[in-house]
Amino acid sequence: MNDPRKGREAEPTTHFGYQNVPESQKAQKVAEVFHSVAAKYDLMNDVLSGGLHRLWKRFTIELSGVRRGNRVLDIAGGTGDLTRQFSRLVGESGEVVLADINSSMLKVGRDRLLDKGVAGNVRFVQADAEKLPFPDNHFDVVTIAFGLRNVTHKEDALRSMLRVLKPGGRLLVLEFSKPSNALLGKAYDAYSFAFMPLAGKLITNDADSYRYLAESIRMHPNQETLKGMMVEAGFERVTYHNMTGGIVALHRGLKP
Amino acid sequence: MLGTALLASAEHALNRLLRLDGTAQPRLARLGGRVIAVRCTAPELALHILPNADGLRLASHWQGEADCTLHAPAASLLRLAASRQKTAILHSPEVRLEGDSASLLALAEILEDLELDWEYELSRWLGPVATQLFAGSLQHATRWSGQSLASLRQDLADYLGEESSTLVGRHEAEARFAEVDDLRLALDRLEARLARLAHPQEPRDNA
Repeated sequence: MNDPRKGREAEPTTHFGYQNVPESQKAQKVAEVFHSVAAKYDLMNDVLSGGLHRLWKRFTIELSGVRRGNRVLDIAGGTGDLTRQFSRLVGESGEVVLADINSSMLKVGRDRLLDKGVAGNVRFVQADAEKLPFPDNHFDVVTIAFGLRNVTHKEDALRSMLRVLKPGGRLLVLEFSKPSNALLGKAYDAYSFAFMPLAGKLITNDADSYRYLAESIRMHPNQETLKGMMVEAGFERVTYHNMTGGIVALHRGLKP
Repeated sequence: MLGTALLASAEHALNRLLRLDGTAQPRLARLGGRVIAVRCTAPELALHILPNADGLRLASHWQGEADCTLHAPAASLLRLAASRQKTAILHSPEVRLEGDSASLLALAEILEDLELDWEYELSRWLGPVATQLFAGSLQHATRWSGQSLASLRQDLADYLGEESSTLVGRHEAEARFAEVDDLRLALDRLEARLARLAHPQEPRDNA
């Protein structure tokens, strides 16, 4: 006979920031964070990064090598920073899909892009990165910017991204990482755990979400580990570029 | 990262400037999707230009292939940026083009043809009446400066040539130069004759 209590105990756990939570609860908890911050997400990005997130994303676009007519998937696209620029580059003959698991972020992104006149070659899809609802070999470029650390099963997500990429297609993972300098690391820790929750409290009246952000960054795999995970998932010629002293890293891999 | 930040700032300023010409953006949109690489040979630098409907996108590392690559030293690139006759510089010998040069020539033509409607931009900030007053005053000041400069130049030339006799006038100088030329020619002939008298040629054997 099945014992339901035993079943709950047997459920594997994962990290949510510094907490361990059952895997089935992580997505819900991450969703709550993003529902809470969606309205002021762009403002907070500018405040917390001092505008640097625009340069990190700009470099991501440069390394994507996107051309007219390409099909691009922007996973965890949020408020559509990358999608807007990809939309210009692929032109009318191409297509950009902005996918996000969070409906609030997707709604903010869609409204913001429409307000800026970005339409025609952009589709909005609510999708889970682990189970992408697209055919095999469909996209020329897949990007995920500041999204992978929130995914429960990162290996499954990377395999799903590999599946939807065309052979020769590029995956670009832009994510917080580990500073290469110990002194910078200490300063960054002090900034993350003191200033970020305070700014979250003052601007969005939600310190917990920004405490989670700082914690989730520390729990995310470092540069070499993520590179190994991408190789393990099946990507070739995996390289990464550290930015701002390794606070952020851009990983790039090709589908064979 | 610093280079990326500088390029982003330059791109922002350039696109604001391009917006002042109503015809530039539609013409740039027709070049959308093209990638123009500029490789400075001395010093070694690379820049990628991607025209689009919003202006130009500038990138230092572009992973895709370029449609056209321009190789030139920094001096030629600076002349290219500053000159109104961009196409003439593109055909100079120190500049080398690879790939589809039509894209680059079309971009150069668009930049040559720029006519910035600064009065429109100013009117957005100051309003039509203040802009009209400011533009009228500026045109008047420009005209007055031009006339004053021409008048000053003429007065200075008159003073130096006629009153103080420090310099000679152009016609007088040309007459003297012609006389000097004639004298030099006569002297050359005289020298040749003296040389011939000093070294008489031996009689030729016509047999």
